[in-house]
Parts: sequence; structure tokens; C-alpha cells
Amino acid sequence: MVKEEEIIPKYWYNIIPDLPRPLPPPRDPQDAEFSRIDLLRSILPHEVLRQQFTIEKYVKIPEEVKEKYLLIGRPTPLMRARGLENFLQTPARIYFKYEGATPTGSHKINTAIPQAYFAKNEGIEHVVTETGAGQWGTAVALAARMYNMKSSIFMVKVSYEQKPMRRSIMQLYGANVYASPTNITEYGRKILEKNPNHPGSLGIAMSEAIEYALKNQHRYLVGSVLDVVLLHQSVIGLETITQLESLGEEADILIGCVGGGSNFGGFVYPFIGNKKGKRYIAVSSAEVPKFSRGEYKYDYPDSAGLLPLVKMITLGNEYVPPPIYAGGLRYHGVAPTLSLLMKEGIVEWREYSEREIFEAAKIFMQTQGIVPAPESAHAIKAVIDEANEAKKNNEKKVIVFNLSGHGLLDLSNYESMMKRWGNSGK
Amino acid sequence: MLVVYMTLGYPDVENFLKFITSLESAGADVLELGIPPKYAKYDGPVIRKSYDRVKTQIKDIWRLMRQVRDSLSIPIVALTYLEDWINELKTFLDKLRENGINGVLFPDLLIDYIDDFEKYDKEIKAIGLKNVIFTSPSVPDLLINKVSRISDLFLYYGVRPTTGIPIPVSLNELITRVRKLVENKLVVGFGLSNDDDIKEALSAGADGIAIGTLFIEEMGKGNLENAIRLVKKFRGLLDEY
Ligand SMILES: Cc1ncc(COP(=O)(O)O)c(C=O)c1O
Repeated sequence: MVKEEEIIPKYWYNIIPDLPRPLPPPRDPQDAEFSRIDLLRSILPHEVLRQQFTIEKYVKIPEEVKEKYLLIGRPTPLMRARGLENFLQTPARIYFKYEGATPTGSHKINTAIPQAYFAKNEGIEHVVTETGAGQWGTAVALAARMYNMKSSIFMVKVSYEQKPMRRSIMQLYGANVYASPTNITEYGRKILEKNPNHPGSLGIAMSEAIEYALKNQHRYLVGSVLDVVLLHQSVIGLETITQLESLGEEADILIGCVGGGSNFGGFVYPFIGNKKGKRYIAVSSAEVPKFSRGEYKYDYPDSAGLLPLVKMITLGNEYVPPPIYAGGLRYHGVAPTLSLLMKEGIVEWREYSEREIFEAAKIFMQTQGIVPAPESAHAIKAVIDEANEAKKNNEKKVIVFNLSGHGLLDLSNYESMMKRWGNSGK
Repeated sequence: MLVVYMTLGYPDVENFLKFITSLESAGADVLELGIPPKYAKYDGPVIRKSYDRVKTQIKDIWRLMRQVRDSLSIPIVALTYLEDWINELKTFLDKLRENGINGVLFPDLLIDYIDDFEKYDKEIKAIGLKNVIFTSPSVPDLLINKVSRISDLFLYYGVRPTTGIPIPVSLNELITRVRKLVENKLVVGFGLSNDDDIKEALSAGADGIAIGTLFIEEMGKGNLENAIRLVKKFRGLLDEY
């Protein structure tokens, strides 16, 4: 038996030096009134910024961060989905890395901890971020608490009202949670002036968080997309490699869902870098068709255009996604390294509609007992398709996927899916 | 090797020429001459502003280039974006050569024209110009090694994502690593400003440094003398190594 401490890696893995071609650098916009790249220095903790632009292939995980990884239950379990295999009658062996087993219920805590730690190390007492449905905000609230820092979370107003439980968790961890647009930032006041009942958006919340952090000399923590976030998330894939080895298994197909790309990159890149696995499948939502309709071009990662432009597959930073029930996938772009790997044909992609992922989620709940986050259910749908394909060809494939989060706080979403699509047990 | 960057005609033609004329005796080895592009994609705010300023005031860039050539004997490399000249590349390169410019440095060559960079490299060399290739930490190892062998004069390695902004980077690690890959002289630039940075770069194996933003800042404030004094100071630092 491998000891837990030995499964958690000592280093994060950075894919940039292993990419097949140069990663286009971030840029400032053509008619910039101020430099977004320069602004990063006042927004992000110094070490986070250094890691964003590092080319070291392996970046040491500080002991203090490793301790916290242990505390939140890392390594997370790698489980065999025997119930699902039996149901599908597939010769494939299916495994999943269960990131929902962390206290905040998703992979987001993996990067919230080091970012908070680096901020604390630099004497910062207060960190700020935005959150949509609440996964990221919850992770930041807990990470800040672990290092005795204050945190302020700008939560999109509709979610604040419709997801009171996420809000409560953040508050119990000790965060200040604001319904964005707020009247405590200039940007928020401007929005409220025009429309006092504005429901808010992730772009607005992000702009408020950045403004608030800048004004008060706090630091802003980033939830996805940037290279440094994918770097921190590589603990997922590195652990999975060790866990599979101890089982004597070799992965054939690796699957993950994509919002900004952080859980996918964190899970899959260590396999790509170590030349393990044969196929890599990124899954997103057909209702936010960035893989099929997105363009590969320079665009802002945030709706407000406060961060530097990065080259990525994107629907445009002003794209307004329809209100589908996988909040974490309602993002307009794909992390730059993942965009490049998709362009090069190294990573395959799929898009599934809400109805399809709802069926897949139900199968998973009924065969494995775990309620997956609706985001993760996208990966499950791809797993089912691949397992059925293996059955057709009678191939003993090993399929491994990342179950990026549980869906116990998304039950209202599932309820509304039941209303829309019926609940005929499959 | 001391590579000095200056924007063509900054801050005004008179002071610009005074700076240029003093460069050689102050110890510069190569002049990198910035030609204002439409979109300074990979430049920092200070250099961007210098472009904005000269764009409106230089009438004839070619005549000014000729004047620069006539007042210097060190190599002159034109820094501009391939994007702007791609449709009339031969004419542009011919004109550079006619006006005594020795080579070009296109920061976007490996980034935006990666699939065709060898074609453009041949075209530049066919005209009789030198091609100084720009690389950065996100260029894969194999490619750095490959282009280091075809780059003329030296290989340019920009350590930061943009010029003139002190984004924290691990200079020693970056340069030690790339040194092993580069089969050529290695010149490091992008955001080098203080003496410690420069010393660290040189002890990690750089053969030279490229500096621009600092001179632009001094020239922008009207401190011609200071700008020249800085060139001399950097010469001194290099000579210690
Ligand atoms: C459970 C879960 N999975 C996946 C995602 C998608 O984000 P990313 O692609 O950055 O991992 C989110 C984002 O909120 C999420 O909460």
C-alpha cells in the first residue's frame, strides 16, 4: 500500500516547456489606456505571478501547502466505477478521480490554497474574488480561513439569491459575501445606476473584485484559465498516475469537463507530459458551443477586459451564455495551453446538451450513488459513450475520468432538469 | 555585448540624433532601432507611448534611418512587426538595406508566423539582411536550439512577457536552462533594469544584454545626458564579466 503522503506529489507539473509549439504570450490591447500586464503586479500575489510566467517543468509545492492538501483529504480517491461498468455491460474498466471528496466539494480548493498561501507569505491580510454558482468562492473562503486571512467574495446577485446555501457556507467559513453588483465599488455603482435590479454577471463580479482588491491593496485570487491555475491543479493528474500505477493499470482514455480548463488541464497534462494515455477528451456544453463555434484568437479572459489578452479558443469575452444548469461551464474561452493542444489535435473534444448530460448524471447517481456536479456530468456522458464504443468493439479499454465535483448543492438544478426533461428512470 | 534599443526619432529628431551619435563612444555594440508599428503587440507601456509620440512627428522614416546610419558604424537592427510589412516584405527589406540597416528583428516571427518562419528567414537573408530571431520562455526547447543556429549576430531571448514591466521572473533559472540550448551568442532582454538583474543574467550565462525602456524613460524626461551615462554604466557592468 502506498502511503497517502507519498501519493501527493512534491512538485506541480507545468506543460509549457513540453508544448509542441510556442505558447503565444499575453498581450495588452492595441489602444490600451493602461497596461493590463502591468496591472497584474498589483492584483496577483508576487509568487503567483512568477509561476504564471515560469518555464520550469516542475515547480516545488511548499511544505505548508502540502500540509493543507493533506488536511483537505488529498490524495482524493481514485475509484473504480464497477456499478457503471456492470450497468453498461462494457468490457472497459472505468476509474474516476473523485475531486468532490474535498470539503468544498470540487477541485477548486487545489489552487485556492497555494494562492492564499503565497498572498499570506507576502504579508497580505485579505484576499478577494468573484464567484458565480459558488464553487470557487467557497474554495477561496476556506483557503483564506486556513491562513487566517479575511476574504471578500463578490457573488453574482442571482446566485446569491438562488443559492443561499453556498452563500451560507462561505459566511460560515468567515467570508464577507456581497451580492454583485454592489454599491461598494465604482463599477458596481455604475451598473446599479443604470439598472437597480441588475441580476449581475460573472464579468461584473470579477470587475468589482479586481477593483476592490486594487483599491484596498488586497490580492485577487484567480479561479481558472491562467497557466498558474492549471499548474496548481496538476496535483489531480500526478496523484492519479501514482494511484493507477499502484493498481497495475495503464490508462487508455482520459476524460474531463472544461469550463476554463483548470480541472481538465490539471488532470490530463501530467499524463500528456509523461507520455501516458492514448487519447484525451475534453468535454463542454453544447449550449455554450465554444469548441465547435469558438475562434482561436486573442481575447480577454474576463468580460470586463481588465486582464491581459490571451490567445485561446473563445466565443468572445462579451458572449452571454444561456442560463444552462452547469454554471461552471458557462465560460466563453478555453485556457491558452488547452486551446493550443486542441488546435494541434492532441486533445479531442465533445459537446453535449443539457438533456444528454442529465441522463448520464442519473445513470451515474443510480449506479454509483454519487450525485455529480452538472459540470462533471459532461465528462460522465463522454465516458458512457466511450464505454459503449468499447463494448461494440469488445475492447478492454481503461477509461479514467475526473469527477471534478459533487452536485449536492446543485440539487435545485437537477430538480429543474427533472421538470424539463421528465424523470423517467433510465 | 551591449544592445541598445531606441525608438526611431524619439522624443524628437534633434535629441534622438544626439543620443545616437553618442552611442558608439559610450560603448554600445548594436543599435536596435524601433520602427513604430500599427500595434505594438509585445511591447510594454513605455515603448508603446514612445511609438505614439513619434508616429505623428516623423515624416520620412527612411531619411531619418539614413541619418542614423551615417552617424554610426556599429550594426543597426530594425525592430518592427512582420505583421505590418508582410504584404510588401521584399520592398520593405530592400529599403532597409538601401538605407544601410544591417538586419531585422521581428518579435512576432516565431509567435504569429511559426508555420512559415523558415520561409521568411530565407527571404530576409536573400536580401542580404541579418535576421535576429526573438525567442522567449514559452518557445519549446527544440525550437530554441534550432533557431539559435540560424539567428544572425546573436539569439535574442526576452525573459518577460513584455518589455518594461518588472514581472517577477527567475532570471537565473531561465537563463541557465536556455544557455544549454543556444548554439550562438545569447542576448537577454525584456524588463532588465537594475544592476542586480543584469549581473544575474550575465553570471547565468548571457553573452549580452538588451536594454531599451530605461533609455526611453530618460529621453522622455529630456535627460539626454542621463541616458548616455546609463549606456556607459551598462558598458562598465558588461566589461566586468
Ligand atoms: C465542479 C466543477 N467542475 C468543473 C468546473 C469547470 O471549471 P474548470 O474548467 O476551470 O475546471 C467548475 C467551475 O466552476 C466546477 O465547479
